[in-house]
Amino acid sequence: MQFDAEAGDNLVCAVLAAQVAELRGRIDTGAAVELLWQTSDVLSQLSGLVVELAKRCHKSDGDLSAQCNTAVAAEIDIRRSLESLAFAQAQRNDFTCQTVDCVVTALGRLATSDGARLSPDDLAALYVSEEQRQVHDAATRQFVAVTRRNGVERHKREGSAE
Amino acid sequence: MPAILVLDDSATMVMSLSRILKNAGYEVETASNGKEGMAKLAGGLKPSVILTDINMPQMDGIAFIKEARKAASTRFTPIIVLTTESGGQKRDEARAAGASAWLTKPTEPNELLTALKQLLPSK
Repeated sequence: MQFDAEAGDNLVCAVLAAQVAELRGRIDTGAAVELLWQTSDVLSQLSGLVVELAKRCHKSDGDLSAQCNTAVAAEIDIRRSLESLAFAQAQRNDFTCQTVDCVVTALGRLATSDGARLSPDDLAALYVSEEQRQVHDAATRQFVAVTRRNGVERHKREGSAE
Repeated sequence: MPAILVLDDSATMVMSLSRILKNAGYEVETASNGKEGMAKLAGGLKPSVILTDINMPQMDGIAFIKEARKAASTRFTPIIVLTTESGGQKRDEARAAGASAWLTKPTEPNELLTALKQLLPSK
């Protein structure tokens, strides 16, 4: 199928939007986070059993009882770390999904064939975090620097050709 | 047991927040956007604290806070904003709408629980 240049650009944007949207579905599964929470639950249950074991062997086996108490203390630390990790991972997922949503929306707008343009300010209006704005500013600075450099080089080439 | 209403459009975030709050001894109700949150409040839910994201579909966090402040049952309920947004403009909007506190993601479970304890009405 053949497209003119503008329709081709629109199609590329539409396809990229679909590809990125597909990627978002894979990010937001939350499977790793859920596994961390399940691990935390299982550890908690096991810890309860170890506490019970320590009570029962308190008089008959002092060493085992002491080991049980050590294991329970270690479990509390590990469970706390797991929960922090799960929460941090959930927040990272959320941030990634919001960034991806922004890219999908922007590409979706560029894919429309009604001649609508997406300015840098329009793009910035889609952001939902300071990190996105920082990336935008850094990319803009880089773009301006490259554009200036290319302009200087083109000017030199044109000068030497004359 | 104090009830917390959690609003976030990320299922993973809702799951994690629910676990943290339940493990800390709170009852948790959840909603995936402001509209759903308002429906729960209209249905008779009386949370001790509301925890809401800002960027959500259908009704965002700021619109939700404005609506919640109009309702007699939640006019004075503490509302904590938990969001990826750290910009001053959104923060000012949320404060003007009636938000009580603001936490920027990523945050730690302890930071969240401390903010909750500070805002919960003392018995």
